[in-house]
Amino acid sequence: MFEKRTIQSLKTLLAAGAIVTLGAGVIANTAFAAPVPLVIGFTSDSSGQYANSGASDRRGMLMAIDEFNAKGGVLGRMIKTVHMDTETTPATGSRVAERVIAREKVGFLIGAVSSGVANAISQVAQSHGVVYLNTNSSSPTESGKNCHRVKFVWDGNGANFAQAAIKNSIGAYGKDVLLVTNDYVWGHNTSDATRKLVLANGANIIDEILVPQGTRDFSSVLLKIQQLKPQVIAVAVGGDDLKAMRSQIAQLGLGDKYAWVNNQQDWPDVYGLPADNLFGVFGTTWYYGMELPGVDTFVTKYQKAYPDNKMKVPGNVFYNGYWATRSLLETIERVGTTNNHAVIKGLEKLRIPAEARMQNHDAWMNAKTHQMQQTIYLATRNANPTSDDDMFTMLSYAAPEKVADSGAEATCELESFADTPVYTP
Amino acid sequence: MNQRVAQSSNPLLTNDSGEHSHRVALTTQKTAIITKQMICMFIILGTFPLWSEWVGLYNYLGAEIAIWIIYALGFNLLLGYTGLPSFGHGAFFGIGAYAYGLTQLGIIESVWAGIFFSVLAGGIAAAVVACFISHRRGIYYALMTIAFGQIFWFTSMRWHTLTGGEDGLLNIHRGELNLGFFSFSLSETSSLFYFIFAIVMLVTVGLWRLVHSPYGKALQAIRMNEMRARFLGYNVWLIKWSVFMISGAIAGLAGGLFALVQQSAYPDVMSLHASGLIVMLTLIGGGFVSYWGPVLGAIVFFMARDTLGAMTETWLLWYGLMFMLVIIFKPEGIAGLWQDLMKRREKRQLKVNGSTENASGEAK
Amino acid sequence: MDILINLLPHIVNGLSLGLLFGLIALGFMLIVGVMELINLAHGSLFALGAYFAMTIINPDLSSWGAIGAWYVSLPLGFRYFLGLVIGAFLVALVGMGLEVCMRRTYGKKAEYGLLLTFGAALVIEETIRITWGSGEQFLPVPKMMSGAFIAGDMIYSTYRFYAAGFGAFMIFVVWLFLEKTPFGAMIKAGAHDSEMVRALGVNLTRLRLYVFAFGALLAAIAGIILTPIWGLRPHVGVDVVIPAFLIIVLGGIGSFWGAIIAGVLVGLVVAIVGAYASQWSLMSMYILLIVVLTFRTRGLLGKKSTLEN
Repeated sequence: MFEKRTIQSLKTLLAAGAIVTLGAGVIANTAFAAPVPLVIGFTSDSSGQYANSGASDRRGMLMAIDEFNAKGGVLGRMIKTVHMDTETTPATGSRVAERVIAREKVGFLIGAVSSGVANAISQVAQSHGVVYLNTNSSSPTESGKNCHRVKFVWDGNGANFAQAAIKNSIGAYGKDVLLVTNDYVWGHNTSDATRKLVLANGANIIDEILVPQGTRDFSSVLLKIQQLKPQVIAVAVGGDDLKAMRSQIAQLGLGDKYAWVNNQQDWPDVYGLPADNLFGVFGTTWYYGMELPGVDTFVTKYQKAYPDNKMKVPGNVFYNGYWATRSLLETIERVGTTNNHAVIKGLEKLRIPAEARMQNHDAWMNAKTHQMQQTIYLATRNANPTSDDDMFTMLSYAAPEKVADSGAEATCELESFADTPVYTP
Repeated sequence: MNQRVAQSSNPLLTNDSGEHSHRVALTTQKTAIITKQMICMFIILGTFPLWSEWVGLYNYLGAEIAIWIIYALGFNLLLGYTGLPSFGHGAFFGIGAYAYGLTQLGIIESVWAGIFFSVLAGGIAAAVVACFISHRRGIYYALMTIAFGQIFWFTSMRWHTLTGGEDGLLNIHRGELNLGFFSFSLSETSSLFYFIFAIVMLVTVGLWRLVHSPYGKALQAIRMNEMRARFLGYNVWLIKWSVFMISGAIAGLAGGLFALVQQSAYPDVMSLHASGLIVMLTLIGGGFVSYWGPVLGAIVFFMARDTLGAMTETWLLWYGLMFMLVIIFKPEGIAGLWQDLMKRREKRQLKVNGSTENASGEAK
Repeated sequence: MDILINLLPHIVNGLSLGLLFGLIALGFMLIVGVMELINLAHGSLFALGAYFAMTIINPDLSSWGAIGAWYVSLPLGFRYFLGLVIGAFLVALVGMGLEVCMRRTYGKKAEYGLLLTFGAALVIEETIRITWGSGEQFLPVPKMMSGAFIAGDMIYSTYRFYAAGFGAFMIFVVWLFLEKTPFGAMIKAGAHDSEMVRALGVNLTRLRLYVFAFGALLAAIAGIILTPIWGLRPHVGVDVVIPAFLIIVLGGIGSFWGAIIAGVLVGLVVAIVGAYASQWSLMSMYILLIVVLTFRTRGLLGKKSTLEN
């Protein structure tokens, strides 16, 4: 890391030399007082249930940082990164956050997949005033009950995805809806959002099957589903449970037999699996196969940065990590300081044109909930793939206003700026 | 013998009355309330915030280590002293954390009340579990504790209206510590550390007394041979039940303090993995051979995790290998290693003393 | 009557699940029974077997040219068989290595052996993560065994029944081995009285090595068979070792049939509770254990074991 810094300060030196108006003394000065690098802490999991998504998340963040470092860092400061494994465990999340703030003097924290870990980190971050980006945890509580002034959420959440999927599915397949819900907070929040939408659309819920977290055998659930004969099945099952359920549905060939509405499929979770493992329709925020300007360049850039990675194309988790980091750094440049209050205010006003983000609609930050409002896509398995990686077909997309999480604004109470310590890394 | 049988029918009584019991003379060797090792540990740990930054550590880590020292000392009462392996102890730690949080959020914002309820909750939960397992030993004992641990863990995940499920119980404020004559804020981790350190001192001294009391002898008698302990007149079931309860209450205390430090409570501390960690670090430290084993274990475990974790993403691999090597080559743990070293030094000193005597003799 | 008709598919399902649980517990049972050692690395060996098999069935042979192409063109069924045999064999070798590490813990407290295998589990899991990555993987199943069949109103997975059948077969094979071969007799004797075995002139060191290898082999076979159902990721071992542990204790340590009955019982309970109060399905295992152990000290058919001390 130190060597890199020396090279960079040489670059600064050369750049300064090019400015004819500056005297030699000033140049020497820049070289000796090279600006302190800005340290960013990565807090994504590298072991436990979300290790794989955590790695993808991290690659996205790194690519954004490398882009900035290539053009001289942010506000003339090079960006250094530190990473510690949060182990998919909240207790470790707290400690890691405390450690990197106290020891490495990080300016910003980025990264999350599990909502428990995200909560633990954001509490620590809030008490120190460190801006924290929750890149990939899609629990509705993240931008609702558990929102914080310093925390910004970049993924679509369960409520957004349900909005996008439920109405269409009821219209297309029928009004008898069965809920299959993971028996923990994320599952219940998501199924509550679904339930409201189902009832609002005049359909009825015939039953709800609660699946305990840690379930590996779904045979009795699948038999029960067959006995209940629903028309639409709304699934809010996550993590390893979903992976096991997916392979068992595939084995039975039940993926095509029912209208499954699957909340979200993260790319790192499905990448490399046989196509029949993808069942029903599901939500996502981005897919590399979309025909939008800039996507091809983005994919090429990914492949250049990670030529040896097993994942040959970037997915939604990578995309969220990349965009969260890039937007943060752009905001710092825009507001011209790393002062946390200024950066937070800048992020609250963030608006990114659709073309830049490679989505169909403009995305913007909701200043009241700190959740990125973005286009939500509905996708399904690609029946005629052009390559092994071409797993999804995009069915439709919805503008951010149409799928907004209406409950979030009512439950989110951000701390005031006065209650958020000032922090200028 | 008769006298012994009559009195030990309620060993808890001996414990409560402590020193004043006339059984002391029969079974206890005298030991100081404060020993050299204790002073040594208190000085090192108590000055932690003064030098931590200098060696690249941070106060939060110190607070966490201090909490785990409490937890591990209480756990070793069960594992090291009584020989009862509990693989579900995380449950009581977690219950303590939830009790602390629920007290703050639902009853009263007071550190003392929170700690009181976390000890109480940990103790009661452990007392209930102990009713089912206290006639057990060995693997069946271990397995029953796993099963109960899993049940508590599941319950904390499922009962999310109370516990917040995997999102956890959040926004537990650190608040003020009221000492009667004055009160100070615990929001700084360093002041929090000193508060926890004070509790570490109390627990260390208290447990030291306990294991050197007749009750402590009874625990060791049970570890050596349960049958013989019974013949000696100990009420084995009651002792096993009570030691589990005490150990659970201490775990609850540690859990409550952890909720205070972390400002939240999560179910993960109750998982089998977390329960395994406490066994692991107690043994690595040398809980079977020394009172100080768990202390050493907690320090080494957290330090190793912190430094290895910062160096490599595959720290678990290295940690696992290190752990295997300790078990293969020095199962008595760090404390065992230390004792060997001391013995060797003593021997050498004896030799040296002997030879100097000879030398001086010759000189004369 | 209606209830019965509704219940029937779940009973069938529970039986199949129970046989799979029995299969999972086999290797664990052997090592606990003979060596009185709780092998916490059982789950990791399970995972390792599946990863080996996966690599053998679908290797990355792009740099091997014609040989690679020829191998990949072999029928999947054949490669699957190879994966099963070679994968299990490789894991047996790993198990032998582990047993050599274990030797210094013999004669000491049972906790040491348990903790050593806990350390080994960490090491194996991390090694898997480094070698194969932390992502989800899958094991392809031969065409003949994949798909589903319809029974009445219900659709069952074909593979699941093959797997359950194979589980029953393996249980039978292990039983035959223990009951009808001299080696089995030796193992059984060793299980009850190691002094006796030594007195009979059996090389106890070698016996332990083989038993551990056999236990690891059975763990790997269970892993290869169950992976198409449960999926494959580095930490899959945790999902395995707890039910295995639970079944052994429920059945009673040292009892072959106790474990099998316990496996089927757990399968039935989990499946039926899963159908009618699914949120309790996982918890039901533990409650069953506590209830049984409260009334039957040594599980269903347990014998006295030194692990009780």
